[in-house]
Amino acid sequence: MPVLLAAATIVWIFVFFLPGDPARLIAGGQAADPEVLETIRHEWGLDRPAPIQYMTYLGKLLRFDLGSSYIQARSVVSIIAEHFPPTFILAMAAVVLAAVSGLVLGSLAALHRGRLLDSSILILALLGTSMPVFWLGLILMLLFASRLSWLPVLGYGMEGAVIPFTAIRLPEWDHLVLPAVTLSLVSMGTIARITRASLIEAGTADFLQTARAKGASGARVFARHALQNALIPVVTVVGLDFASLLGGAVATEYVFAWPGLGKTIVRAIGLRDLPVVEGGVLFLTGVFVLVSLVIDLLYLVLDPRIHYSPTA
Amino acid sequence: MRTSEPRASLPGLARAALLLPVALAGMAFLACTRGRPSPERAEQVFRFRMHEDPPTLDPALSNDQFSEAVILNVHRGLVELDPETLEIRPAVADSWTISPDNRVYTFHLRDGVRFHNGRPVTSQDVAYSLRRLLKKETRSPRRFLLEPIEGAQEFTDGTSDAVRGLATPNDRTVVLRLARPFAPFLSELTMANAAVLPREVYDDPQKAYLRAPVGCGPFRFGRWEQSNFIELLAFDGYYGGRPALDRAVIRMIENKTSALQEYIAGGLDSLDETPDENDTAMMAKVGQEVHKYPFMGTGYIGFNLSLPPFKGNAALRKAFNYAVDKKYLWEVLIPGGNIPANGIIPPGIPGHDKDLPGYPHDEAKARSFLAQAGYPAGKGLPPVALWVNTGEGNRQIASQIQTDLKTIGVTIVIREVDWAAYIAAVSGTKDNAGQAQMFRFGWYLDYPDADAILRPLLHSSNWGPAGNFGRYKNPEFDALVDKALAVTDPKERAELYRRAETIAVMDDAVWIFLNYYQASTLYKPYVKGVVLSPLGEFRLPLERLRIERGTH
Repeated sequence: MPVLLAAATIVWIFVFFLPGDPARLIAGGQAADPEVLETIRHEWGLDRPAPIQYMTYLGKLLRFDLGSSYIQARSVVSIIAEHFPPTFILAMAAVVLAAVSGLVLGSLAALHRGRLLDSSILILALLGTSMPVFWLGLILMLLFASRLSWLPVLGYGMEGAVIPFTAIRLPEWDHLVLPAVTLSLVSMGTIARITRASLIEAGTADFLQTARAKGASGARVFARHALQNALIPVVTVVGLDFASLLGGAVATEYVFAWPGLGKTIVRAIGLRDLPVVEGGVLFLTGVFVLVSLVIDLLYLVLDPRIHYSPTA
Repeated sequence: MRTSEPRASLPGLARAALLLPVALAGMAFLACTRGRPSPERAEQVFRFRMHEDPPTLDPALSNDQFSEAVILNVHRGLVELDPETLEIRPAVADSWTISPDNRVYTFHLRDGVRFHNGRPVTSQDVAYSLRRLLKKETRSPRRFLLEPIEGAQEFTDGTSDAVRGLATPNDRTVVLRLARPFAPFLSELTMANAAVLPREVYDDPQKAYLRAPVGCGPFRFGRWEQSNFIELLAFDGYYGGRPALDRAVIRMIENKTSALQEYIAGGLDSLDETPDENDTAMMAKVGQEVHKYPFMGTGYIGFNLSLPPFKGNAALRKAFNYAVDKKYLWEVLIPGGNIPANGIIPPGIPGHDKDLPGYPHDEAKARSFLAQAGYPAGKGLPPVALWVNTGEGNRQIASQIQTDLKTIGVTIVIREVDWAAYIAAVSGTKDNAGQAQMFRFGWYLDYPDADAILRPLLHSSNWGPAGNFGRYKNPEFDALVDKALAVTDPKERAELYRRAETIAVMDDAVWIFLNYYQASTLYKPYVKGVVLSPLGEFRLPLERLRIERGTH
């Protein structure tokens, strides 16, 4: 809760001091009617002193009211509900791809440490981490969509299935491939390097020698002992990557015209649609906190030595 | 220790682990081979791109080209503007008469016009829609369109419950009485804001019409997924006959490069942006599909006449004008698009003066006027700030102007900010002239009339934040523009506008007159019935389009 309150306050301060008048953008921009401008400012409370505006904002938050969009004239909650699922699906697909490929490549690199395969994987991981997503997305688009025509160029598709009892429409799956692969390549590099390092470190531990001495097979030693111990830092990275992708996939959403929340918030900043900026950022902060909590709980599963006591 | 590495002992597991990405790759491959819809299909679908969602679909609130692109295909007003010939044509009204004193307009409604919900359109709907536009609570940025109607202002202010000059003698007749003759009135009624709306839909307190508009135009509203697409469906009951297209899909794609790739791949049938003419590879692919046509608009660099150094210094403004090489700008630096301007009123609009001298590039004259302004070779002139809103095009233009002015000794500092910050800096308030000494703007005319550019941008009634950001005030100019409003003879009106333009351009040099716009759009060859409208690439009369694949 304190994190959310701090986030709400920081976002409000940033938004308040943004130059520009949201009312003017609605009232006609270049040639706005001054009377209409005044009406809008009054209706939105923009003509009130800053402390009153802040208290009104906090008051609404306490009632779980994120307000309504200035531009779209609908609730911020409904906008988040429309744009978060595409972002969530994209981030989830990217993280699964990144985690699986990162784990496999990291394991292979550790298993072949010092050999050509190890060096190749390290170079690939470095490239993945260092390539700008914007550039990478365009390159993949040009290659797999424009040149080879294997995949759609962009978009979410119009005919994906709707999840029963919700208004959430899933993407057409072929539309998901390119943006998910683009996003995953960045995380994949980091995960592969961390997996490799963790496995090499775990490989030197005494408990592995003990396991081998007790006659455990190589596969069992790797899966039950080495990999499981190496997973803790990997889970941290995967979890944090997932959380940051939920809000930080803007460049990918932009290149592939993906109707996600990150792009919506960036556009709202440009339009000075302040309730959408405030509500969207606050929501993403909440999601980040939640994901961090899930990561902490996963540690309990992965490492029995870890336990949280109420007095800790 | 290397001996502790478990690498060689686990080939089986490593192979198993390898299967996972292979499986994922397989899924991706399956997705790839599922294939996209066949380009050969009986259904007539036209797909075009918008940069972003329309800010509103409420006709009364519309104030931008994206909103109008949708609204003008879903709705109809009493009259409409032919996007090709720019003539005013019957729409919901099939005829009208104008009284000899040019104050009373009597519209006779067409039979058989129905809203998309099936209900016939009556004169009451017209009256409701016009009153709605005027109501203060509607907050329309364009209620000024109806201000010429007698009693409109009192109705907006709330001092009268009715609009005195609006009457509906029967279900098929609407009478509008103006306070005084107003020549562009019919043109103003062609705007999207004056659409005829069904009261039962637009009185909804939940405002469901914002996402599901209902009109009487050729297309009814289908679906809208924000940031993804808008789908319009042919309206079988359209009074002008069912459109040939079954559907129109507007896809939201911000990035130009991505949109171009999607167009080439066949995901779009039209695109409002064309490749850079210097990109020969891209032009080889789509060059034949590029259509260029004049677009009613003018681009300019405004001077803030309330701020130094431009306040009261026409010679300095003329020096800046002569220093900027517009020919180089539009023919070499950014080729293939805009046309160098010699004034304000764009070609095709009555009043445009092709013989107006303007300010062709002339460095000697620029130096001479600079000296006359009190700054010989730029000495004593502090750096001047040129404000632009974020964008590659604006950046290029600003940099070139900076370079041109440097040659005569003037230092320009470029301030590039996003649109909201830019508008705030440029518009200022009634009492504050804003921060921008110079600013770049483009203005697209709402309808083909010189009043639609001279009044909003330069008339003193719009001084300051109301649109005349340069804060220009010249009683002689105002008088000519005001007089033209009451004149109905087209030749006489055009002459009045020419005289007004000459004052603003040649005497007062209120802007740097940069360019007349030219639109540039891609259309696939199988799209027939294309209208290249001077009203812009988004003024698409979808009801005229048809898809004829295999005929080219």
